[in-house]
Amino acid sequence: MLQYTTPQLSIIESPFDAKTFLHGPAMTGKTTAGVERISYLIENGVPAGSILILVPQRTLAEPYRQALYHPDLPAGGLVTTLTVGGLARRSLETFWPLISEESGFAQPDLPPTFLTMESAQYYMAHIVRPFMREEGYFETVTIKRNRLYSQIIDNLNKAAVVGFPHTELGERLQSAWVGELAQSRVYADAQDCANAFRDFCLEYNLLDFSLQIELFRDLLWPNPTCRRYLTDTYRHLIADNLEEDVPLTHDLLENWLPDFDSALLIADHEAGYRRFLGADPDSARRLRHVCGKEVEFTTPLVSSPAVQAFNAHLTPAIRRELPPPGLPTLDIDSALSIEIRQYYPEMLTWVADKIRSLVEEGTPPGEIVVLAPFLSDALRFSLRELLIAQGIPSRSHRPSRALREEPTTHALLTLAALAHPQWEITPSQSDVTYALLQAIKGLDLIRARLLTKIIYRATQGKPTLSNFERIRPETQERITYQLGNRYQALRDWLYAYRENDPHPLDHFLSRLFGELLSQPGFGFHTDHDQGEITANLIESVQKFRWAVGKTLEAADVPLGKEYLLMVQDGVIAAQYIKRWGAPPDDAVFMAPAYTFLMNNHPVTYQFWLNAGARGWYERIYQPLTHPYILSRDWEQGEIWTDANETEVSLERLQRLASGLLRRCREKVYIGISTLSEQGYEQKGLLLQAVNRVLQER
Amino acid sequence: MLQPRPSQEKILEYTTGTMGVSAVPGSGKTWTLSLLAADIIARNVLDLDQEVLIVTLVNSAVDNFTQRIGEFLKQRGLLPHLGYRVRTLHGLAHDIVRERPALVGLDVNFQIVDEREGNRIRTSAAEEWLYQHPNFFDDYLDPDFDEGKRDWVRREKLPRLVDDIAYQFIRTAKDMQLTPQAARERLDDLPIPLPLAEAGVEIYGAYQHSLAYRGAVDFDDLIRLAYQALQLDEDLLARLRHQWPYILEDEAQDSSQVQEKILRLLAQNWVRVGDPNQAIYETFTTAKPELLRDFIREADFPRTLPTSGRSTSSIISLANSLVEWTQSEHHLEAARTALAPPYIQPTSPDDHQANPPDRAEQIHLIEKGYSPKGELKAIAKSLEQWLPDHPEETVAVLVPRNTRAQHLADLLRQADIEPVETLLRSTSQTRKTAGALGNILAYLANPGSANKLASVYRVWRRDAKEGENKEVWEEVKELAQLIRKCSHVEDFLAPGPDQDWLSTLDLEEEQEASLRDFREMVERWLKTILLPIDQMILTLSQDLFTTPMELAIAHKLAVFLRQLSNAHPNWGLPSLTDELAVVARNERRFISFTSDTGFDPEAHKGKVVLTTAHKAKGLEWDRVYVISVNNYNYPSGAAYDQYISERWYVRDNLNLPAETLAQLKAAFSDDVFHWYEEGTASQKARVEYVKERLRLLYVGITRAKKELVITWNKGRRGELQPALAFVALQEDRN
Repeated sequence: MLQYTTPQLSIIESPFDAKTFLHGPAMTGKTTAGVERISYLIENGVPAGSILILVPQRTLAEPYRQALYHPDLPAGGLVTTLTVGGLARRSLETFWPLISEESGFAQPDLPPTFLTMESAQYYMAHIVRPFMREEGYFETVTIKRNRLYSQIIDNLNKAAVVGFPHTELGERLQSAWVGELAQSRVYADAQDCANAFRDFCLEYNLLDFSLQIELFRDLLWPNPTCRRYLTDTYRHLIADNLEEDVPLTHDLLENWLPDFDSALLIADHEAGYRRFLGADPDSARRLRHVCGKEVEFTTPLVSSPAVQAFNAHLTPAIRRELPPPGLPTLDIDSALSIEIRQYYPEMLTWVADKIRSLVEEGTPPGEIVVLAPFLSDALRFSLRELLIAQGIPSRSHRPSRALREEPTTHALLTLAALAHPQWEITPSQSDVTYALLQAIKGLDLIRARLLTKIIYRATQGKPTLSNFERIRPETQERITYQLGNRYQALRDWLYAYRENDPHPLDHFLSRLFGELLSQPGFGFHTDHDQGEITANLIESVQKFRWAVGKTLEAADVPLGKEYLLMVQDGVIAAQYIKRWGAPPDDAVFMAPAYTFLMNNHPVTYQFWLNAGARGWYERIYQPLTHPYILSRDWEQGEIWTDANETEVSLERLQRLASGLLRRCREKVYIGISTLSEQGYEQKGLLLQAVNRVLQER
Repeated sequence: MLQPRPSQEKILEYTTGTMGVSAVPGSGKTWTLSLLAADIIARNVLDLDQEVLIVTLVNSAVDNFTQRIGEFLKQRGLLPHLGYRVRTLHGLAHDIVRERPALVGLDVNFQIVDEREGNRIRTSAAEEWLYQHPNFFDDYLDPDFDEGKRDWVRREKLPRLVDDIAYQFIRTAKDMQLTPQAARERLDDLPIPLPLAEAGVEIYGAYQHSLAYRGAVDFDDLIRLAYQALQLDEDLLARLRHQWPYILEDEAQDSSQVQEKILRLLAQNWVRVGDPNQAIYETFTTAKPELLRDFIREADFPRTLPTSGRSTSSIISLANSLVEWTQSEHHLEAARTALAPPYIQPTSPDDHQANPPDRAEQIHLIEKGYSPKGELKAIAKSLEQWLPDHPEETVAVLVPRNTRAQHLADLLRQADIEPVETLLRSTSQTRKTAGALGNILAYLANPGSANKLASVYRVWRRDAKEGENKEVWEEVKELAQLIRKCSHVEDFLAPGPDQDWLSTLDLEEEQEASLRDFREMVERWLKTILLPIDQMILTLSQDLFTTPMELAIAHKLAVFLRQLSNAHPNWGLPSLTDELAVVARNERRFISFTSDTGFDPEAHKGKVVLTTAHKAKGLEWDRVYVISVNNYNYPSGAAYDQYISERWYVRDNLNLPAETLAQLKAAFSDDVFHWYEEGTASQKARVEYVKERLRLLYVGITRAKKELVITWNKGRRGELQPALAFVALQEDRN
């Protein structure tokens, strides 16, 4: 049983009609109080179904979800956990007929299609490409096409959550621009594409995120039926991490709050890590005036005095200010240890060795985290291997790879192409080799290649596979008859499928997996990972079909072929989320620093890698969008200069470093390699600031 | 620590303002500049967020400076690596652009394509253009050609020429800060068409479009955009000016105009050091040694470093007489500024680096005109005689072009002399690491190949090659030969029952064990085939490499190949393997890939180093051969000279790349009297080439410490003459 502090108890046990704005730095026990407050409400007779938990992103609801699954909690209704986007979508699904007439859709009598990020990107690609091809749009901007599409979508979303017409996007961005003139044209291009996308959505009943938000905000929330439903259903509110939420959420809550019986609004100081997604900590602060009561938690519950002192000294160092008087005494050796190596892999070896010694001294691996601004796959892989060699379990924030990089999906899609000659997609020799290698149990790379060379041809743009028996006997012998028979079974299955009308791709994949690949003698037999990836692929295809199936059908384009091409193009890049065999919790966690912060889970030891990198403070630059200029409090007509940029960088770094240190119990280890992973020398602001603190010693 | 010479002392006294230093070869300018940087840091005048910025020309110099300054700081009890930043111009431009990519229209994840990738994109843009305009150059071809010959030239010669034109056009346009759109608009506004420039703009446009599609910029864009960023945002400029209160620039004679512009914007206190007589990168760039001369003249503190302890006094006076002859006697008036004082002065006898004792007889200016082959034979023979007597000395042959070096290398090998070719094509460790990985990837891409598997075996046992025991390596070669003969690789690596190839061989126990271990290793490697390329490389590396540097290079290669594979999702293993082969041949310059700390001639005593004169810059050897000093490689502007840039199939000796650039410049010139006139640019290009070649000869001569041999050949058709400067030097010595 957790022990709660007196301030926590006063929040948890506050009356059923209390509305409190609870704020304070990270790791002062705010969310803990929020979680316990829910248990308190339910245990004291509040129906679970009348409680709404609102968070900016789903992972932030994790502590609440865990508490709600706790066996001690009385059975009953379900607590609703939502993001504002989820709330909008759910309301639209329920109340669509109420507003369909006013929605501006060309066919209001037909149901809308909800777009995922992926399917929105797919449509955006279709809309933008002709502009680029025929009218030279975005010629001066150096950016990968997929990021271009996603940034235009992002702009639409920002306009929706910040609350200005999407038609003002270009003008807003342009008026703050100080750089190259050609860029102004790019903003106008982005505006045109955003308009065209919106028109397209309205014409074909497509609801992307921005439209969902706008329709909810402008039509559903003001609609008495919908509003009554929401206010009647939810009587108690917990809204956590408000500083990471968008102004729209804050508007909604400001408006909704009088209707709740009780409310607990929670906000962190010095955060706002989702700013690039539209989060607005300044906007969150106004909610304090709407609540009857304001409480601030200030006592750090996690970090040691030495780490707290380091944090206190690092803050002015980052801000390039003199240390204010009265700072706690610096005990740097207890809080920080720095190690320098010439080369990057040497530094990683040092990290692994140090982790081993910590574990040997009794630290559970789960109490150690390895952080960097970004984690390259090479870093992730190398460090994991080093830790495995030391017998230490590790986990990483990203258990997945993009679809097109996943060998299993690659193999499945190759087989799909082989089964559908009418698509006229001819996989390369190596694609077929790797597909056979995975599909046929016991096949080795040498034989797979030999086999492919003989049986696979592209004839008149169509792939063909020949029969095993047509191979010369001595080669059959080299491949072995057992493997040959398995190949033949695969070929027979594919050719039998070819004989009939094609199925939708997701159905095809289900059958291929169920009837063949999961059977004895084939590669996916008893392999859970591959089964899971297949399921994930099927789900992605399904979603794609729901979102774009009708449009493609109308244009007489085979959905499966289009899906394949989009995966190849990188427009569809679904990541699969591992559902089975989750990694052990007691494992060293490797993550980008921001991911660690958003997981909000303190640890005893932190390793900071690439301390010289700019990624610690650099905003994700996006040539077509801008989180600050598109935020609510940006004065239109002001110019975004380098001074703004520097200020924002320092602020980000300070919030990040402080957020990390507040989540560190004992010590930070900084690993520096003179030459970075890429062979560059790095001397970023974090390193400079740490150096400054060291010199204070 | 060594005591600075008086001329060096004067430079170390620098505190603020501008200082220009003209330094002769071997005068210790890197040493002095490093010491100055360390001095400034130690004076405690810098804020914590300020740095001394050192800008130099090539990556190996970056390492050199970094290490030296670090050592000087350590000697003063300070932390190395802090308070200074050493960059090439590209590195600096990268730093600046990375400050705010969005300012110049770049995504934060913008990629930099290196020369090779850039070349590939440009070549394909040029080919596409030529395909659409097959007859564009008809008017420029020699009118005496019949249709058959014209057709042949169009097919065989024009693609290369157009690519060349495109290369120079794009570089120059970027140096002039022109986008394709801006150039296009200007050309459209002109009343008179400029067809060559039109062609250039079209290819430039296609090239930039391809880059943008990849989300990438090239090296020249980096510089162009850095300058643009500084001009666009005053705050950024102010911040960087604050960050770098001192700028020390090395090799300033090779600074391009835009480099000078960038540094001029940034600099408050600016020291430029260089030797205008060694400016040898002018062709195709906007660098001009005159710019440095002007700067030195106008600087608050003009200085010279005239003393050099490198060479014997005879070699010094030969170099000085080349300067003198050029200044006063070159028949081409315009070429007389190619070289200028200060003359090289020997050090005082008590100097820590006193000149070697003079041996005038060790300067050989060979009058005889050889055939090209005969010249190489003579050099090989000379080396064959010299080497046995000088096992502790260093020697290099400076060739005009790589192909010449290859021929010479073959001849030397025939005489059992293994030449050092590192400077021609590779940097050692990167090449070895990339090469080893490349061999394995090549096998994995073609796993049924016994040949490739045999190479993998040699890679796996490569330590034996460098080991003391030659027999071990012989055995490795034998076993590799055996693998090569394995007709079905699967019978070795994944044998079915009773089909194990290994058991059919009659091997000694140790040999069999080696092959079994090898099999186990390769089985593991074969399983990596489905991993992403970076993980595959890292996995292989764990088995292959042991030293920190090898592992670091492999790690970088892993990241590099992963980026490539992200950019080209359809590339399979063979294409990626090709890229590794390119790295192995060192065609691909890794920017800031600092595992190679430059070439050290002293590490190759008793061996023959082959190098181009360009690559030899900054280095020195006891004995130096400068070869092929004829009027083709070193023309003097005489009527009978031939020029590499004037193609034989183009009419009127036109240098079409130069003509194209002249059209571009005319389009943007406000001076009506400098309108484009055909042929003028070709003539001007000749003069520039003549001047650059004089400086190249000067560089060649000043590489020698004790002995110098200069030879020439008559060319394949026997029509070439000795270079005029060479003749003048001979006369001077006689």
